[in-house]
Amino acid sequence: MGIIHLSTIGLLIDIFAAAILVTAVLIVSSRSLVFYIRLFALQSFFLGAVALLVVLGYGETHILIAAFLTIAVKAIAIPMVLTRVIERIQVRKEIEFSINITASLLLCAGMVILSDSVAQSILSSQHGDAPAVSRVLSVSIAMMLIGLFIMMTRKKALTQIIGLLTMENGVFLSGLSITYGMPLIVEVGIFFDIMIAVLILGVFVFRINKTFETISIDSLRSLRH
Amino acid sequence: MSMILFSLLLGTPIAGSILCALFHKRRVLEIITVTSSGLTFLSAFWLMAKVMQETTLHSPQGWWYADGLSAYIIIIVSGSAFVVALYSIGYLRRQIYKRKVDAPKLWLYYLLLNIFLFTMMLVLLSNNLGFLWIGSEATTLATAFLVAFYERESSIEAAWKYVVICSVGITLALFGIILTYFSALHVVPASGNALHWSSLMLVAKELDPAVLKLAFIFILIGFGTKAGLAPMHTWKPDAYGEAPAPISALMAAGLVNVALYSLMRFYILVDKAVGGGFASTLFIIFGLMSMGVAVPFILLQRDFKRLLAYSSVEHVGIIVFALGIGTPLAYFGALLHLLNNAIAKILLFLTAGNVRMAYGSRIMHKVTGAIKVIPASATLLILGVFAITGWPPFGIFVSEFTIISAGFTSGNIVPAILFVGFITTIFVGFIYYTSRMVLGEPHRPVKGSDADSASLLLLGLLLGALLMLGVFIPSQLQQCIQNAVNVLKG
Repeated sequence: MGIIHLSTIGLLIDIFAAAILVTAVLIVSSRSLVFYIRLFALQSFFLGAVALLVVLGYGETHILIAAFLTIAVKAIAIPMVLTRVIERIQVRKEIEFSINITASLLLCAGMVILSDSVAQSILSSQHGDAPAVSRVLSVSIAMMLIGLFIMMTRKKALTQIIGLLTMENGVFLSGLSITYGMPLIVEVGIFFDIMIAVLILGVFVFRINKTFETISIDSLRSLRH
Repeated sequence: MSMILFSLLLGTPIAGSILCALFHKRRVLEIITVTSSGLTFLSAFWLMAKVMQETTLHSPQGWWYADGLSAYIIIIVSGSAFVVALYSIGYLRRQIYKRKVDAPKLWLYYLLLNIFLFTMMLVLLSNNLGFLWIGSEATTLATAFLVAFYERESSIEAAWKYVVICSVGITLALFGIILTYFSALHVVPASGNALHWSSLMLVAKELDPAVLKLAFIFILIGFGTKAGLAPMHTWKPDAYGEAPAPISALMAAGLVNVALYSLMRFYILVDKAVGGGFASTLFIIFGLMSMGVAVPFILLQRDFKRLLAYSSVEHVGIIVFALGIGTPLAYFGALLHLLNNAIAKILLFLTAGNVRMAYGSRIMHKVTGAIKVIPASATLLILGVFAITGWPPFGIFVSEFTIISAGFTSGNIVPAILFVGFITTIFVGFIYYTSRMVLGEPHRPVKGSDADSASLLLLGLLLGALLMLGVFIPSQLQQCIQNAVNVLKG
């Protein structure tokens, strides 16, 4: 690539991947729902940047559309929808934890180390020099784990959506890092599904709020056995 | 030629959805939905005939694909959709009469039913594993509002749980698919095809086994969640319990088989690539776990529809277990069981709907003496329960017996003994509860009436089919299953 040297691209990808991981960890330590959504938007924006760098560095032009979709859908549209949801239902913005912040962050550190070893074992199967972008595989696996962790330990309905979307971002990043993304038409279909899923969950948040006067999933306990 | 068939199977439910979106009259919606599901069902038979001649069908660029396995499951799924569409007519009319459903709700129901059928066909006809994933997530989204249909607190809770748990599962499966793609990128010549199942099968031996093993674990968790394998089954009793009876029936008879189909596709691929009993051991473990987990919940159950949901967890376990045994006889048993279970689940969920509507409750101890109140549905219920718990002369007896003997002859003695233990215990629980519901005197006078005679006739036909499958298996069906077994053998 004439414009920017490949090693510069590699460095930039590393920086953005680190920033993505930082947003995921900050989400875990955040108490405010508004902050959750902003951090997620920032995370998606960085993700879009990584995708653009893959286009620049490796000439995978089919990722271009996926990169723009990431920024348009995940960094702009979904955060806007979720912000409107919070405004409309005027929820108490404090998030309750079932595990406190210090313990959560320690667990996250553990997950990052675990992800790195899983990523190494996946990449070890490749012969020859792996491209720089494959280094971010460990970040992507860490995001899936952190997303799952958010869903299991944070009690608001909206935090569950953010947790799910963080997992989803992790999966997208893993696709970028080891396969330069899926075929375009598949990526587009996946974005479509995510959009619909967020809209449906958004509608349910309204309904849960209407029937329970709260959107804590703690009140969703009537179904047992 | 094959394109016409693919277009028919995918296009009919799309056309049905568009037409439903345009019209609002009850009568028109009923006709559209019955026609679209009926035409899909007919096309499925055409597909089967075609597959019998040509073994596999491809669209020109390989995005769509069908073989003996997909044709067989498409017949079961589209047939279930057709039966459910027919039953929905009477069911929703009664709901409207009782003012539980209004016109916009009715419209939404038929619209989503058509979309639901389309998303299932999308999974079953996709050759591209990315499309298969998109279709699977879309089945969850299409059914979300159907589960929340009655808008009670509990149904919104169930729908929330359903969408969140299934989406998490399917997100993990997507990572598994990406890993599969990764293992194939350097092997499949044209990398655009590296996500096509049929291309992957051609080079299965060259795929990296270590990566594929990890991929299979994620895929098993992901599609296992969709199928309701333990321990990822927790959404199932809530969703099946809260959804309208015909929707629960279609989820238990259609959607479950769609998820099992996805698992089978990956199972065939990974078994061929990795070998060494890796995938089959996991299947045996998860299959037995699902059966075992269902036991206590069936023995201590208050709610009839949740009882059936746990029965669905059990039977998914039975099928996955049989696939794990992995001999041709076991495959035959698994595929026959797929059909038997689908028919029995439709019969039981729809009959449960009748009972519920008559008594206004699905709590079992509030329902007694059904044989005096709604004799037809009560008879169907008790016979259906005998069928689902594996009594002769019903079909499930034959398929379970086939699976057990395949288990013993393949040397899996301990798993096979556990299998027998689980189904026997579950039988006791089932018979205990249903006999109390059906026999005896009603606690209080019940005003409710039974379903209309057309609906009851439909249920009678399902029972007749189960009876026939227990006595003899027509040679055409045998041939269909044999073709599907050949696909499973890889």
